[in-house]
Amino acid sequence: MEIALAGNPNVGKSIIFSKLTGVGVISSNYPGTTVEYTEGKAKFMNMTISVVDLPGTYSLAGSTDDERVATRLLYERRPETVIAVLDATRLERNLVFLFELIESGYNVVVALNMYDVLRKSKQAIDVERMERILMMPVIPTVATKGEGIDSLLYTSVQLRRFSRFKVRYDSHIEDMISQLEAKLSEEDWELPLRGASIRLLMGDRNVLSKASREVAELSAKLREQFRQSHGEDIVVHVQRDRFGEAGRIAKEVVGSKETARKGPSLMSDLTLRPSTGLPILIGVLAIVFLTLVFFGGFLEGVLKGAYDDTGKLFFDDLALRTNNDVMKGILSGISLSIEAMLELVIPYILVFYIMLSVLEDTGYLVRVVSLLDGVMHRLGLHGRAVIPMVVGFGCNVPAILATRAMGSRRERLILATLITIAVPCSAQTAIIVGSVGKYAGPLWALLIYMILMGTLVVLGIALHKTIKFEPTGLMVEIPDIRLPSVKQTATKTYIRLKEFLTIAFPLLVVGSIVLEILMAENILQKLIGPADPVMMAVFGLPGFTLVGLFFGLLRKEMALQMLFVLAGTSDLAAVLAPDQMFVFALVMAVFMPCLAAFAVMMKEFGIKSSLMVAGASISLALVMGAVANLVLSL
Amino acid sequence: MVAEITEQYLKVMYKLTERGGSAKTTDIATEMGIAPASVTEMLHKLASRGYIRHTAYKGAVLTPRGRKIARKIARKHRLLERFLNDVVGVRGTSGHEQACKMEHALSDEAERNLCKILNHPKECPHGRKIPKCDRPITCARCTESHTSLADIGEGDSAVVSHVACESRDELCEMLAMGFVPGCRVKVEKKVPMGGPIIVSFKGTKVAIARERGKILHVTRAF
Repeated sequence: MEIALAGNPNVGKSIIFSKLTGVGVISSNYPGTTVEYTEGKAKFMNMTISVVDLPGTYSLAGSTDDERVATRLLYERRPETVIAVLDATRLERNLVFLFELIESGYNVVVALNMYDVLRKSKQAIDVERMERILMMPVIPTVATKGEGIDSLLYTSVQLRRFSRFKVRYDSHIEDMISQLEAKLSEEDWELPLRGASIRLLMGDRNVLSKASREVAELSAKLREQFRQSHGEDIVVHVQRDRFGEAGRIAKEVVGSKETARKGPSLMSDLTLRPSTGLPILIGVLAIVFLTLVFFGGFLEGVLKGAYDDTGKLFFDDLALRTNNDVMKGILSGISLSIEAMLELVIPYILVFYIMLSVLEDTGYLVRVVSLLDGVMHRLGLHGRAVIPMVVGFGCNVPAILATRAMGSRRERLILATLITIAVPCSAQTAIIVGSVGKYAGPLWALLIYMILMGTLVVLGIALHKTIKFEPTGLMVEIPDIRLPSVKQTATKTYIRLKEFLTIAFPLLVVGSIVLEILMAENILQKLIGPADPVMMAVFGLPGFTLVGLFFGLLRKEMALQMLFVLAGTSDLAAVLAPDQMFVFALVMAVFMPCLAAFAVMMKEFGIKSSLMVAGASISLALVMGAVANLVLSL
Repeated sequence: MVAEITEQYLKVMYKLTERGGSAKTTDIATEMGIAPASVTEMLHKLASRGYIRHTAYKGAVLTPRGRKIARKIARKHRLLERFLNDVVGVRGTSGHEQACKMEHALSDEAERNLCKILNHPKECPHGRKIPKCDRPITCARCTESHTSLADIGEGDSAVVSHVACESRDELCEMLAMGFVPGCRVKVEKKVPMGGPIIVSFKGTKVAIARERGKILHVTRAF
């Protein structure tokens, strides 16, 4: 059997989900969209029940991606029970979504979540009364502490039933509903006729497409008639009546001291005021970076030590025993990939994901978005773009995944392009600092960052102008600041890390093996000779740097080491002049995203857009390199 | 200065889209009494100047910029109609036709005084709403009635009276968020640097972009 979890955003749906299900949680994109939903299995007595966590939405009739996915999942899966997760502290607005679920004819069980917050503010909800009014089971839950989860599961499996509750609309609408109902027949519709009629009247495209022509015309006529006589669209009145009904119910069931919701907490207010919000933001970012550098670095050391003594020895040993160069290449390729995973992914990306999840779940990120929305709009982006950009300084792969928070595909593509081209990831930073910063002086390194920053702004504005779109205005509910749940953070991080590993790791292995074989067969070294004059003429760089660039395509973090190997010395200053290093580092910083980032882009945006971005970044890098060489040699 | 014909088009489109939806080419043509082909041509011109957004087969909607001009001209038109009808005694279609010509010549100053003389009428003789003036308002009668959420100061409350969306999807989105007529909202904060407006209502807080705040027509509440 199957259960679906539905509700508004920020009601603690995902926490209930992670409490209900055990291992084996998978997250998938709904086909053709970037909307994610998660699925898992719950155990109840001897049954295995699959649980689907729908994207949080405010309505089932709307046309945003989230709403469409939620509606379609409900429609396709036909879950036996839908658990409507309601925020007990915001009962009124949450009830409206419940009404839609009831009208669509699902067996609904209500989880009255965040009941502890309600209790703390000395309020209570008359649960029995609410059950009587809504004619369905209502279970108070405190998801963060696991209270009520068992009885929620029990009720969903055993006591589900179809509610006969109805929202009363004004007489004119009711009249139109019965007119339409008379024209429909049960067999054609999978949802109750009343619900279907209401949606037809509201002009819901999903429902209209299933209606006969006669019915569609009638509903259009009625809609127009309503607008003529009331001067407002019928959806306005339908929603008004729903909110009115919700308000009445909330008033009836919520205990006396209602509306005495305590004012916004101090913390909440401080994060939204620029004079205090910006320093807090900088502080938070600094903590994120420092944690990454120190804690990540510490983990890296530990893991590297452990691997050097075990896995690496094993592979080295194996490599010694074969005489075949290709085989040796494969072995050391695998070994290097595992090493890179242990040293790069686990320490930095895992730590980063955990912190990102905590920042999301506390409700802090939404505040940052609101704070910076105005500024980012001038760059043609949303306030939400801040987060992926910050992530991009660590690694482009999670940054591209993080662009999912953006509204439209266009915005996501613009942002992903900006990140891959103009935001240096930690590997690129290592190259800039390790070559230019070390030998030519920090000022030159800073200059590269300034150039990148300039590129970001110019490119952002240029893309904004060429790819025409009106950024949809922000409208987002700001949740109260709250403590994140360990279980949910773990689930979220697990899902994200798994996603990263399945994309990046296979590619890393293949890429490394190919490179090692090329090295073993001395093919790369053969490129140096013919490339020399070209590289010298255009970039003023010796031929062997080409191999470094080539390597950078696959493994950015290895490019510098490669340079050392090829140059035959670890003192770069002996083989490259500061000018040359500057050009090299600049090209590397803008150059195409590494293979893993490219793969993620392909998954998210398709091959055509990814190739375009890659092509653009390579040509931009080469042009910038050539120009830098020209300017420097003047 | 905007050309008279542009003003005329924008006004007609304002009238057609006043209650939501978009203006169809044929409707505009009928309203103005000219051929649809010339309308299409003009719509392209208007779109290229950024006054409207035009989608083939779907019709056109006003951009905020076009809307501003359209509102102003529609306001002048309807005030003049009121004036011709109530004070001068011109009745029927003739009033509408004369107002159509006079509206382009009427100065803002004259418009304001006309509004005062007529005692701030709310509707034209045909029952259409007269758009409120969008100048920094000094006239007390206008302030107490409809303004947009964007004009409400920090810490003040208001009651939503109308959601003036150009697109149906947006309307549904705003309604689902809870911005239904009759709902009381409080402006908590307007984030500087062009940031969003943060409003609290129904026990929650919502950040809404300023542009979108203009869609929400509200009545001040105290």
